[in-house]
This record gives sequence, structure tokens and C-alpha cells, in this order.
Amino acid sequence: MGPSGSGKSTLMHILGCLDTPTSGSYLLDDEEVSVYDEDRLAEVRSRKLGFVFQQFNLLPRLTAAQNVELPLLYSRVSVDEREEIVSTMLAKVGLADRAHHRSNELSGGETQRVAIARALANDPALILADEPTGNLDSATEDELMELMDGLNEQGRTLVIVTHDDSVAKHAKRIINLKDGRLV
Amino acid sequence: MSFFALLGLSILSLRHHKSRSFLTALGIVIGVTTVIAILSLLQGLNNTIDEQFASLGTNTIYVQKMELNFGSGPGQFDFEEIAKRPDLTIEDAEAIAELPTIAEAVTTMSREVGALTHKGNEAEKCSLKGSGEGGEATASLIVERGRFINVNDQKRRRMVCVIGSYISINLFPDEDPLGQMLEVDGHKYQVVGVLAEKGAMFGRSQDNVAFIPINTYQKFYSTPEGRASIFGGSSIEVLPAEGVSVDEALLQVEELMRLRHGLHYYEDNDFGLNTQSSMFSSLNQITTIAWIVMVGIAANSLLVGGIGIMNIMLVSVAERTREIGIRKAVGARTRDILMQFLLEAVVLSLVGGAIGILAGLGIAGLVSLLTDLQATAMWWTIAIGFVFSAIVGVFFGIYPAQKASKLNPIDAIRYE
Repeated sequence: MGPSGSGKSTLMHILGCLDTPTSGSYLLDDEEVSVYDEDRLAEVRSRKLGFVFQQFNLLPRLTAAQNVELPLLYSRVSVDEREEIVSTMLAKVGLADRAHHRSNELSGGETQRVAIARALANDPALILADEPTGNLDSATEDELMELMDGLNEQGRTLVIVTHDDSVAKHAKRIINLKDGRLV
Repeated sequence: MSFFALLGLSILSLRHHKSRSFLTALGIVIGVTTVIAILSLLQGLNNTIDEQFASLGTNTIYVQKMELNFGSGPGQFDFEEIAKRPDLTIEDAEAIAELPTIAEAVTTMSREVGALTHKGNEAEKCSLKGSGEGGEATASLIVERGRFINVNDQKRRRMVCVIGSYISINLFPDEDPLGQMLEVDGHKYQVVGVLAEKGAMFGRSQDNVAFIPINTYQKFYSTPEGRASIFGGSSIEVLPAEGVSVDEALLQVEELMRLRHGLHYYEDNDFGLNTQSSMFSSLNQITTIAWIVMVGIAANSLLVGGIGIMNIMLVSVAERTREIGIRKAVGARTRDILMQFLLEAVVLSLVGGAIGILAGLGIAGLVSLLTDLQATAMWWTIAIGFVFSAIVGVFFGIYPAQKASKLNPIDAIRYE
């Protein structure tokens, strides 16, 4: 948690291997990833990480199922396996019946659930969510947080950036940031 | 991502922007259409030239006033000098015929005549040719009926003629032409032979010709003077003896003619020696020039088409910055993005190329249908079309694709 400009997103980007730190080190699974080049970072993102964004960031021209399939295409999973994983993941987020809708035909809450299914596709150890409920109403927010709690109970690590106390209360550990430092 | 998945992706994206994709590919379509149409037509032209030269005497050497060279510009000839060259005479031909390496040597002259007539029948736009014994062999003619001109016809300046099939059909539609009389320029000739049909050469019939003895010809039509004598004067058709190569015969004829014209070793020939292969190669030079010009035009339109592709791909990359960011976030490597956009450019230009090939073949086919020129499309013509469009796609697609692949994922994903 932290006010805007406190460095939440930067920390999230570094954790998500989208950015590399100017100084210091970042050990992910005991691997020093801060020295990796573009392609090895892409590899780490593909295998170990899943992202959920405030802006959802689905590809609007693709269906829900195709969006969930996307990370699997880049990690070179075979066709049969892809189909199976996609339907499992969509069922997990309660959208099995929406698989062939384009993402612009879905509601905000549904869109974000597709995004979670996408983040889960490669069975990552860590899910990074940047203000995942920022664009949702409070009823949908509760549904979504319930889903995230469920994932956490199944043993998955979630890092959530938020400035919303109602979201923060779901977390087992809260880290406060201010001016780029832990407080 | 696998190649086919990437391919599917580019096709999907191109189909999403149908009219834009079509307009972009249009440049390539036009370029490839030009290449295919002109290549097919040139190939057809070459085939026609091959066939038609084969219908001339294959081994015949033509001793003329000037060296024929279609490929060089007119400025290369000194017509004043050529006009002063001595005429080729019947005696020259007789001397050449004496050479052991020579089978036949015949002096010939020809002119266009208005009309040949017989009892109200008329054959228009014919050529009248003076020739002599052996002239059918040097011009590779087949005498279908009767005989060709012989030595006695020449010596006695007989009023006899041998006619081509066109004249035979037009003047004597329902009677035997042999022994009949026909009239040219106020002179009457008796028909002693009819030639087999030979067909057209470069659109000109070779069957509307009448042969008379060269001596008779010279009696009525004197050798033209000055420049006119370059083309209107006599030439000697020489056929090498069996087993003698054209080159060997050429050397001997050249030596003899230099001797007869009293040329010193330091002086150039004052006559021309033309063979089927020398005329053929000079005609080939023309088609080669046409080829080069065509390649220039086609390269130009492909360049313009390629720039169009690059332009649209750059626009596409800018529009899809966010998509690129998302793809990178979910694990796309630099190479995946590069290939996605490169394939899009290549597919675009290959589709353009395919349409261009079809259109080019269509145009070539249409020309064949409407004119005498028979266009021929070789397999490599089509291969060239595909290879060129693929090269254009890669060449002009690589820069936008590289730009896309090097985008920073964070900046890209935040791009609005």
C-alpha cells in the first residue's frame, strides 16, 4: 500500500520482470534475475509469473478463451493441452459459458476474471495484481477478492498493489511504501 | 510461439483491416503484374523469333553491302561510305560458287510490286525477286509443282516465273497455274513452278513472292543508285557444301570477296557477311534491352509498393503498441514479436504477388488472344513473381517489425 508516487508500480514492475532495478538485486526462486536480458526475462515472465492489471489489458479482438490461451502459445504448450488448460481455467473463474465471447462483450468483472484465468494459465508461482479492483464497483470487487482468496488458499502467492483498505484487509501481510521506501 | 500460430495471427490481423491491406498490397500487385505480363510476352516474342529464323535457310550466308546489326543504333553506320561500295554482281556469285566449300551461290535482287494480274484476277502487295539456279536451296524453298529457275532461264533472259502459294491461289483459283501467263509492270511471264506454302515471318507473308531469272530482272530494273542501293541492291545467297561449317565457308567467301574487290590487308571489308546466327543474335540484343528496361520499371513499382508496406506496418505497430506490451507481459520474446510483424508484411506482399501473378498471366493471355504474339509463361516466371514479392516483404517489413520487438513492455502497456 502507499500513496501515488510512492513507488508501488515500480516495485511491481521489477517483481514482474518487466523492468530491471538500477541498483540492488532481485532474487526470484534463488535466481538473480536483475542481470537477465530481455529474452530471459520474457522466459521468467512466461513460466513463473502471472499479471492482473487495473486496465484489464485483454486483447479486444480475441475471445475470452483465446486471451487465456495467449500465454500458453508463448510457452509452446501443445494444442490439446492448451484446450484443456483454457477450459479448466475459465471454469475456475466461473466463466466457462463465456469462453467464445470477445472481451469487449464482457462486463468489467467478467473481463477481470478472464485476466485472472490468463494469469493462471502457465501455473505460475506468483501472481502480481496492480490495482485489480480499481475499475470495478464494490459488489464486483468483493466477488473478485473472494476468487483471489480462493487462489491464495490453494497455495498460490499473490502480490496486490492497492490503496483501498477493503482490498488490503484480504492480505496476510501488508507492506507500506512511501517515497520509494518501506515504512 | 510456433510458426503456424504466428502465421494465423498475421492473417487474422490483415483480415481485420481488409481494405487497408488490399490498398497496401496494390503496389506489389501492380509491380508483379508488370513483371509477369512482360516476361511472358518477351518469352513469347523470343519463341516466335526462334521459329521464324528456323524458317530461313539455316546455313545460308548473305553477302550484302552492309553488315546487319539490329542491336546497334543507326548512328553507328556510315551510310555515305556504304553507298559508295561496289555492287555485288552475278560474276561475284559465279566465282563464289566455284569454291570447293560452297554448294550454291545465287545473286538475288528484290522489289515490292503493285500487283500481279492474270485475266482480271489480281494479287496485291507482292514482292518480285530476281534469282537463279539453286535459289530455292539458298532460300530453303520447296518447289511443290514444276521447277525452279535454271541456268538456261538466266542466260536467255527468259520470261518465266516461279510463284508463291498466295499468288497461285489468288491468280489461278480454279485452273492449273503451270504454263499460264501473268503480268507484272507491263511484262508477261510464264509460270514454270509453284512453291509450297511457307507462312508468315514477323507478320509478313512469305508466300506473296514471285521469282524471275536475275538476268531478266536486271534487264527491266536497273540497280538503284546511291543510298537506295544499300537496301535495294543485289545480294548473294551462299549455301555451304555438305559437311562444311558456316564459319569455314564464311572465311573462304570473305577472302575471295576481298580479293575480287582488290582490298589491301589494312583495309576493312567493303561488303557485309550476314548469317542467320548473326542476325539472330542482334535481334536477341533488342529483346535483352527490352528485358533490362522492364526490370527497371518493375523494380521501381516494387520499390514503391514496398515503401507502402513499410509505411502501413509502421502505422500498425504504433496502433498496436499496447497489444505488443500485453503480449510481452504474458511471455512473448523479442523474436515472437519480430516474427509476428515480419510475417504480416511478408503475407501481405505474397498475397499481392499471387494476385499480381494471376493478373499478369491474364494480361499475357489476353494479348495472345487479341494479337499474333503468343505469350508463354515459364515456371520460373511465376517463381520470380513469388520470390520478388517475398523479398520485398522481408526487406520492407524488417524495420517496422524490429521497431515493434524492441518496445519496452512497461511503456507499451501504458500506451493509450
